[in-house]
Amino acid sequence: MCDSITLYGVKKVYDSRNGPVHAIGPADLSIRKGEFVSFLGPSGCGKSTLVLMVAGLLPPTEGEIRIDGVVVNEPRTDVGIVFQTPVLVDWRSVLGNVLLQVELRGLDPAQYRAHAVELLESVGLGEFLKQRPYELSGGMQQRTAFCRALLHDPPIVLMDEPLGALDAMTRTRLRDDLEKLWLGSPKSVLFVTHDISEAVQLSDRVVVITPRPGRVEREITVDLPHPRDFDVRQSPEFLGYVKDISDIFMQYGVI
Amino acid sequence: MDTKRTGKRNTAPTEHSGAPRAVDHGTTAAFFLASFLLWEVIVRIFHVPRYIIAPPSAVMTQMAARFTDIYKHTLATSLETFVGFGIAVLVGVPLAMATAFSRFLRQTFYPLAVTLEMVPKIAFAPIFVIWLGFGFGSKMVVVLLVCFFPILINGVFGFTSLPTELQYLSRSTGAGAIRAFVKIRLPYALPQLFVGFKGAAVNATIGATIAEWIGGNAGLGYFISMSTGLFRMDIAIAAIIVLTALGLLLYGIVLWVETKMIPWHVSQRARINATGSA
Ligand SMILES: Nc1ncnc2c1ncn2[C@@H]1O[C@H](COP(=O)(O)OP(=O)(O)OP(=O)(O)O)[C@@H](O)[C@H]1O
Ligand SMILES: [Mg+2]
Repeated sequence: MCDSITLYGVKKVYDSRNGPVHAIGPADLSIRKGEFVSFLGPSGCGKSTLVLMVAGLLPPTEGEIRIDGVVVNEPRTDVGIVFQTPVLVDWRSVLGNVLLQVELRGLDPAQYRAHAVELLESVGLGEFLKQRPYELSGGMQQRTAFCRALLHDPPIVLMDEPLGALDAMTRTRLRDDLEKLWLGSPKSVLFVTHDISEAVQLSDRVVVITPRPGRVEREITVDLPHPRDFDVRQSPEFLGYVKDISDIFMQYGVI
Repeated sequence: MDTKRTGKRNTAPTEHSGAPRAVDHGTTAAFFLASFLLWEVIVRIFHVPRYIIAPPSAVMTQMAARFTDIYKHTLATSLETFVGFGIAVLVGVPLAMATAFSRFLRQTFYPLAVTLEMVPKIAFAPIFVIWLGFGFGSKMVVVLLVCFFPILINGVFGFTSLPTELQYLSRSTGAGAIRAFVKIRLPYALPQLFVGFKGAAVNATIGATIAEWIGGNAGLGYFISMSTGLFRMDIAIAAIIVLTALGLLLYGIVLWVETKMIPWHVSQRARINATGSA
């Protein structure tokens, strides 16, 4: 079995005050073990909804999601989630926020301390362990959130536009950090973004989603060597992928 | 609160904790002194009768002359205030927790509590006098009531307003209700709980005073009403000043505990990170 996550006709319709909202689906898709897959789509096409359903935090209206062949019908504890915002708590230090991941699991934080420090150092936060979230920049907060999502070494990582709220310079840096983290320990990654070049840089496969209700428009396998550094990003192949995907959104009038 | 915060305290809130309140104390003191002086002068120049208003000098004289009386009544009022407030905290916080957790309580007890909140609690005071007599009990229960509701309502609000994403985070770890509560929901609710405690602290002395007016034989409220009955404004004002000090003391204690318990909260730190955290 090499599929990690499989979606069978997954659909979500929200009941809102103004009647039902068809957010996404039906979608069929699978993500292999160790594969980095980006979900690329315009705002409101149901990307966050999908992430929550995969994590078992929100039930699908129709269809079924399986992880390692097991139907997801309760919150999965073997995933690491990075949200669109950092979601850190102000009463804990940077290190304390990362350790919250294992403390909530009832594990002994002392045993994970070294690993947490190591993760934070790898994203350049070694000198900020004792700081509080409100003493950090937005990018540093989001890097803390990455470390929290990885501390328990989950085989699956779900990232919902983790770089969405950051400025262009920080995004580029964190993108490289992310690629490095992933190359260091390959995991199955579901990465949500609406940035085309970000998706192409990071992914083995880009899943292009249509405007709401989101459907899988196309799946594009990105066949470029890692790390996709500055030079690779200037290559005609890289730019070709970016153009192909841009054309799709152009057709939908999104860009 | 934070098990991780064992070492040095975070420096930022300490360095800046005085900053939002960083007033020039000299100016404030001078202003107060000048006001008292003006009061003294006006009363003397215009020969305002002593049964209308007493000058500060007369108030001070009575403060000293009637010290034993004032001391006795202060003790009575303090006891009602602190015991009533304390019980309100001990009962209100667990009830707020239970209400936040139980759908049944949210549908039954909570609407009742919100309705009762609308009733001026003081209206119950004469009833408590009949049930519990003229002494300590009936006053303490009025204080308890006026403190209980702000604590309950802010508590329920605090315990139920955890952001969705923090809930997702704790659910994705498989944390049980108790652990999620201790690690996330309780610390998140603390600032709102303190809003309730501060509201209660303001209400406490008001409740005690009025309850003593309605039916009492001791306490500063009782002493004020006795003194004004005899047109002794000097004594009444002396008692009012002590009552104010008592209220400030309770409020100050709550503020102090707050700075100790939630130094990380926005209200407690001067430097607010412009980027903000979720
Ligand atoms: N709790 C909810 N109740 C009702 N409708 C919702 C709810 N959450 C999301 N929706 C609707 O579902 C649709 C998809 O929302 P979702 O948050 O999944 O979009 P998204 O692709 O993540 O967008 P963005 O890129 O802006 O984050 C939106 O149109 C939204 O209005
Ligand atoms: Mg989203």
